[in-house]
Amino acid sequence: METLSINYLIKDSPAAVAVLDRSLQFVCHSDLWLREFHIKQKDIIGKHYYDIIPNIPESLKQIHASALEGVSSINKGQKFMHSDGSFQWLKWKINPWKDHEGNIGGLIVVQEDITELKREEELLLIAERVARIGGWEVDLLKNEVYWTDITKEIHEVPEDYIPNLEEGINFYKAGESREEITALISEAIAKGTPWDTQLQIVTVKGKEIWVHAKGQAEFIDGTCVRLFGTFQDIDQKKKVEIAFQEATERLAVATEGAGVGIWDYDIVENNLVWDDNMYRLYGIKKDDFSGVYEAWKASVHPQDMERGDQEIAKAISGEREFNTEFRVVWPNGEVRYIRAIAVTQRDKNGKALKMIGTNWDITELKRTQLELVRSEESFTGAFENSACGMAIVGLDGKWIRVNASLCSSLGYTEKELMKQTFQDITHPEDLDKDLALLKEVVQGKIATYQIEKRYFHKAGHIVYAVLTVTAVKDINGKLSHFISQVMDISSRIEAEKRLTTLIDVTKEQNDNLLNFAHIVSHNLRSHAGNLSMLTNFLVKEEEEAEKKNLEGMLKNATESLDETVKHLNEVVQVKTGALDKLTSVSLRNSVESVEKNVSALLKEKGARCSIKISKSHFVNVVPAYLDSILLNLFTNSLKYCSTERPLALRISSIKKEGEIVISFKDNGQGIDLERHGDKIFGMYKTFHKHKDAKGIGLFITKNQIEAMSGKIKVDSKVGVGTTFTLHLKEG
Amino acid sequence: MKKIKSTCIIDDDPIFIYGTKRIMKEVDFSDSILVYENGQEAIEGLTALNETGEALPSVIFLDLNMPIMSGWEFLDQFIKIPNHNIENIVVYIISSSIDPRDLERVKDYRIVSNYILKPITPEDLEGVLQAIANE
Repeated sequence: METLSINYLIKDSPAAVAVLDRSLQFVCHSDLWLREFHIKQKDIIGKHYYDIIPNIPESLKQIHASALEGVSSINKGQKFMHSDGSFQWLKWKINPWKDHEGNIGGLIVVQEDITELKREEELLLIAERVARIGGWEVDLLKNEVYWTDITKEIHEVPEDYIPNLEEGINFYKAGESREEITALISEAIAKGTPWDTQLQIVTVKGKEIWVHAKGQAEFIDGTCVRLFGTFQDIDQKKKVEIAFQEATERLAVATEGAGVGIWDYDIVENNLVWDDNMYRLYGIKKDDFSGVYEAWKASVHPQDMERGDQEIAKAISGEREFNTEFRVVWPNGEVRYIRAIAVTQRDKNGKALKMIGTNWDITELKRTQLELVRSEESFTGAFENSACGMAIVGLDGKWIRVNASLCSSLGYTEKELMKQTFQDITHPEDLDKDLALLKEVVQGKIATYQIEKRYFHKAGHIVYAVLTVTAVKDINGKLSHFISQVMDISSRIEAEKRLTTLIDVTKEQNDNLLNFAHIVSHNLRSHAGNLSMLTNFLVKEEEEAEKKNLEGMLKNATESLDETVKHLNEVVQVKTGALDKLTSVSLRNSVESVEKNVSALLKEKGARCSIKISKSHFVNVVPAYLDSILLNLFTNSLKYCSTERPLALRISSIKKEGEIVISFKDNGQGIDLERHGDKIFGMYKTFHKHKDAKGIGLFITKNQIEAMSGKIKVDSKVGVGTTFTLHLKEG
Repeated sequence: MKKIKSTCIIDDDPIFIYGTKRIMKEVDFSDSILVYENGQEAIEGLTALNETGEALPSVIFLDLNMPIMSGWEFLDQFIKIPNHNIENIVVYIISSSIDPRDLERVKDYRIVSNYILKPITPEDLEGVLQAIANE
């Protein structure tokens, strides 16, 4: 061993070899030894083994000691844990060598550090276990089957289980899986075709699991001698995959059912993909276009194209998510509305990679929306521009909206009116019937109602209106609000009133005229009759005394006729053209002046006269008529004063609605109005046994007052007195 | 023709009364003539007459337009007088009015026999006598 040649042989040995003497000092070693154990020192000859290679485990030192006693040691791999926690795999052959005397001279150590190798092996095992990949092998010559531990675990068989080919195949689930594996194995044996499939097995414990089975055949001289492969438990993955596939299928069914198209735009590759629904949505056939982008370009409404492109650009730049609507034009010219939403996928730097989006047809929705908008617009237009007052009224009676017509009818600005409720501005006499009907609407008994009612204008006067209230229900059928239409008929009512007044006046005038005609006829006839009768008598009369008497009567009759004609003339004068001569006159002055004229008569009767007329009261009259009227009233009171008490006159006036209302009150005999009420102002109507009663005064008074657009009324009680109330236009 | 026992004239026109009386005399119309100047006087007079049990005039000439109480009012009250021989009384309206309303209104009173337009003539009175005789 000490020969140089041997030393050289050892030096170039392809293994890490060291020769040690009995005291474990290096005698010689292979170059590889230094490399294997990373020894930096060039010359280790004569150095102690344990110095050169530190951390020699104690157990190995024991082996060395035993070897020096003659016991060889071979180990294919042993793991040594070091005190610092690190480990080392060593593989060795340790033999003693003997000198020429046959004594043990030292040790020959062939040693390899297989830590790295072992680590990889361990990792592989761990990987196999983690991935649940088992291995198997079938030796067709010996008809022996070998399964790795994992393979056994997957089949849930005990570790000592010895498989055979038939049993192995029978683990596959009866039916599709078993048929397929049988076919694959047969083909592999026959043609050498490898297989790679996913099938179901049933474990010993009866569990169904999915496995990934791979296998291939080995041939010698055209005969298949061996099959081997891997066997992986992919049950969880497969189940997830199946669930995913099911979900995908469901989604596909759902999207197809819902008519939702899905598209996918690979921004990096500039590749757009559509599903079949997309083509259906666009009303086109996939085959008619060379690519998806061409199909899109051909379908989108020209007016929406640019905007669509911009929106996609904005989505890619991240400015705004893609969420839009556009139109497509079907080949038959039909325009459809499409709603489109997409999400943009980005890498970790925010760069857009992909857009995935959906399209669906919203034409019907859009149409409904448009109709709604149109209907709303037309309602708003009608509401705002209606000549009829309109309001939307809440269930609490408050206005929600009022239109311009309503505001103008009621004299409020919109802001002012909104502060009121309809109750505030309704005439109290009309409120109850309105509320009663409204209640019926609220209770659902009626859907709408229409009434004539009165509102108060801001200025205080009454506004006549026809109100139509309609209930509006929300989508749940619950009452939501009311629509009120308020048609202002004030002008109509006013016109009606004027017309009625005019008709009344006309009728009255007509009646007056007729009466007058009959009066004229009657009076003239009675005088004429008397005259003709008296003349007849006179012609035949022979007695002179009687002749004188007849002549006297004839004279009286002629005078009466003359007086009647004068009266009639006076009445005719009143009837014509009084309104042209109206002037403003101080009522007080007029009353005082007439009082003065009759002061002698008043004094004679011992009458008291109280005049309470404001200096500010002016009346618009024909002055002569007013004097005549007042004089007539004074003389009437004087004529028909009570015999039981001295005459007391009270004359007063108030101002009311553009009129001066004069009260002329006496405490005289009074008139039985129940008997004579309709005749008191008639011509030649007298009610008192009085020598001066001619029945012409009040007739003329009434005509004069009416000629000045005034009114006269009487209130009287026999034995108490009479009050005349005169309404004259304010001057 | 039979002379009427008692006639009543109700009119406020003294000339008419004078004339009627004179014509009555001419045609020998009535034994006695009662005169009232208006409805009020007439109703009072006739009621008093009725109460004393005397016979009421069998012919009444009634004017319509009178002060205090008109002919119409008189008629309304007269028919209410409890009178056993009211059936035998005839009322003639004597008026200057040719107002059709008046002519129409007359029909409402059964007691009114006829309507004579003023001025009254001997022929009118003879007609009245004739009519009464025919009954």
